[in-house]
Amino acid sequence: MSPIIACSADTPVREKPEARTNQASARAISAAIIHSFRVLAAALREIFDESAYQRFLDRSQMQSSPNAYKTFQQENEQAKSRRPRCC
Amino acid sequence: MPKFLRPLFWIAVSLLGALALATIALHRGEQINALWLVVAAVSTYAVGYRFYSSFISAKVLALDPLRATPAERLDNGRDFVPTNKWVVFGHHFAAIAGPGPLVGPVLAAQFGYLPGTLWIIAGAVLGGCVQDFVILLFSVRRDGKSLTEMAKSEIGPVGGVVAYLAVLSIIVILLGATALIVVNALKSSPWGTFTIAMTMPIAVLMGVYLRRIRPGKVLETSILGFGLVLAAIFAGQWVSESPSWAAIFTLTAPTLAILIILYGFAASSLPVWLLLAPRDYLSTFVKLGTISLLAAGIVALRPSLHMPPLTRFADGTGPVFAGTIFPFAFITIACGAVSGFHSLISSGTTPKLIRHEPETRMVGYGGMMAESMVAIMAMIAASVLQPGVYFAINSPAGIVGQAPAAAATISSWGFQVTAAQMATLAHAVGEQTLFNRTGGAPAFAVGMAQIFSNTLGGQAVMALWYHFAIMFEALFILTILDAGTRVGRFMLQDALGHIWKPLGRTSWYPSILFTSAIIVAAWGNFLWQGIKDPLGGINSLWPLFGICNQLLATVALCVATTIIVKMGRVRYVLVTLIPLCGLVAVTFTASWHKILNPNPRIGFLAHARQLAAAGANPRLIFNDRLDAAVTAVLVGMVAMILIESSRECMRVISGSNFAATKEAPFVITRLATKEQS
Repeated sequence: MSPIIACSADTPVREKPEARTNQASARAISAAIIHSFRVLAAALREIFDESAYQRFLDRSQMQSSPNAYKTFQQENEQAKSRRPRCC
Repeated sequence: MPKFLRPLFWIAVSLLGALALATIALHRGEQINALWLVVAAVSTYAVGYRFYSSFISAKVLALDPLRATPAERLDNGRDFVPTNKWVVFGHHFAAIAGPGPLVGPVLAAQFGYLPGTLWIIAGAVLGGCVQDFVILLFSVRRDGKSLTEMAKSEIGPVGGVVAYLAVLSIIVILLGATALIVVNALKSSPWGTFTIAMTMPIAVLMGVYLRRIRPGKVLETSILGFGLVLAAIFAGQWVSESPSWAAIFTLTAPTLAILIILYGFAASSLPVWLLLAPRDYLSTFVKLGTISLLAAGIVALRPSLHMPPLTRFADGTGPVFAGTIFPFAFITIACGAVSGFHSLISSGTTPKLIRHEPETRMVGYGGMMAESMVAIMAMIAASVLQPGVYFAINSPAGIVGQAPAAAATISSWGFQVTAAQMATLAHAVGEQTLFNRTGGAPAFAVGMAQIFSNTLGGQAVMALWYHFAIMFEALFILTILDAGTRVGRFMLQDALGHIWKPLGRTSWYPSILFTSAIIVAAWGNFLWQGIKDPLGGINSLWPLFGICNQLLATVALCVATTIIVKMGRVRYVLVTLIPLCGLVAVTFTASWHKILNPNPRIGFLAHARQLAAAGANPRLIFNDRLDAAVTAVLVGMVAMILIESSRECMRVISGSNFAATKEAPFVITRLATKEQS
């Protein structure tokens, strides 16, 4: 059954099925766009080691600070230095 | 999409791909639009991914969604972390994309756009993507083991040693060749030299900002760094127009080479956080942004290709590098089609992030498709140039002479260009001259600047776009120099530690300095050889690098083939055996030519004889003999691994050996049920 929406106080109208389909499509598209941006942001955070730093803070139960970041960098120095960059 | 429409959709994609391939292959005498190359590549990649990689996943590798990956089993929040597949895809792509897929296609465009384009598309779908995919999966099934470790455990100790030496050699030659590209791009260019010089204090500033002011805010720091680099590009214009400042930053090739060698030594000895890490972030940021921008520019502008599909240099007399299409087009374009170096990434960080085994298909096969697309864009950037301009930029003075004689020589080949036309172009991009700027980077930068300036800003900003492109290429080549020297140093320390333990201690400064000096001296020697080479350096160094890279791919495909045989899937072995045979044919033929071809422009030994007869500097003669020896040793080593691998396979097939792969034990995944609940 179609929901009833009020377009003014005394003239209730039934929402057209096409309008409902359009709204659903718009919601799905906007959800897909938001999801894509979230994945893109997560990929960038991973590429730029921000996620690794967050995991380090969680693991070591430290607050972000210059000292914490220094410890994180020292821990990762060997791995980062040994990582080849492709041609 | 409704199920009944799917076959129709894929038939339409296949027909579109076939039409695009026919258009780029059969059009003669008139220009075609660059979008045909894009359509041909995208359609072929789509069909390859949907059907071929699906076949490999199901039949050859039998990907198991229930099998726990090392990221799940060994999750430590540091190296092993189960990660979203798109995030791993981005991470993997950022790691495999380098200057190779940009430079190789630009150099191979001397044959015309057709041979290189066909090799990029076919090589990637049937070879490169397969290699990256299977090596990634095999590493995942072995707890993220490296290629060297897999070669040792699956083929034998010879496999391990050869893989180790091949990796070390390719790193050294790669660093020498890419350093030469930077030298050729920056010589006599105060604007470019100033911009690149500024990236070093900018990187140090980023390192300090990241460590002291905004710990962990890497994206924010990279955006700030990028802003400063843009400011440096603008300032570079002022520097180039100021007579006193321009004189300081106008450097010759030998001076630049010495500075780069000193820089490589110093940078690889400095703490990672101070220079390498921030510049790595900055170059990744610029790389991802610029590649996206270039793709958007090509689609928006839809430029016409001025380069013919085939040039007269298919006969092997090309001025950019000598040699016929087979095998030289196939080793010149390595990274965009098949790159052995990718197997190091596929068996490095990436397998430790894979959350579900089936995701190796998208990351391994799909990641290489994206890399191959970058190579197609580079081919387009080179082919939008007028052929005369392309050859004027890429031909060494030793072949075509210097301006204005070079213009006359190139015009006599049927590619019209005038000294005045080149002077106008050089002025438009803010350079003193564009003649004899070998190495591929300046030609790519001019092509990219044309595409960008026609999309955004017009001719008035062409110089800014050109120097942006040069900065983009030089920035990540310098990062590769620093990172590659460190990787080489660690490999050397690991090996030398077996001889004398203190040398293996990676934090002992005398060992750091000693091993860094050896690695820098090794690639510095190739760089110096390149700038002193009368044929322009790229003619000998790039093929040598291509041979090394493809030999490493041969090693990777040998390992993959052996494992497939040991898995009891001999009937599907052609999936890796066909690209392996292709690469053996290419690399061994190319090596034969580079060592023994009687043409001095091709054969190292013939060139050495020519120089000796002319009474040239003994150092030049030694360089050619060294190149011949390096090529022969590498081919000999890879032949050994081929023999070992064949013997191992034959033993398994004949039943004289028990087919035991060294996979980690099966453990059922818990991630699927967790995610569902």
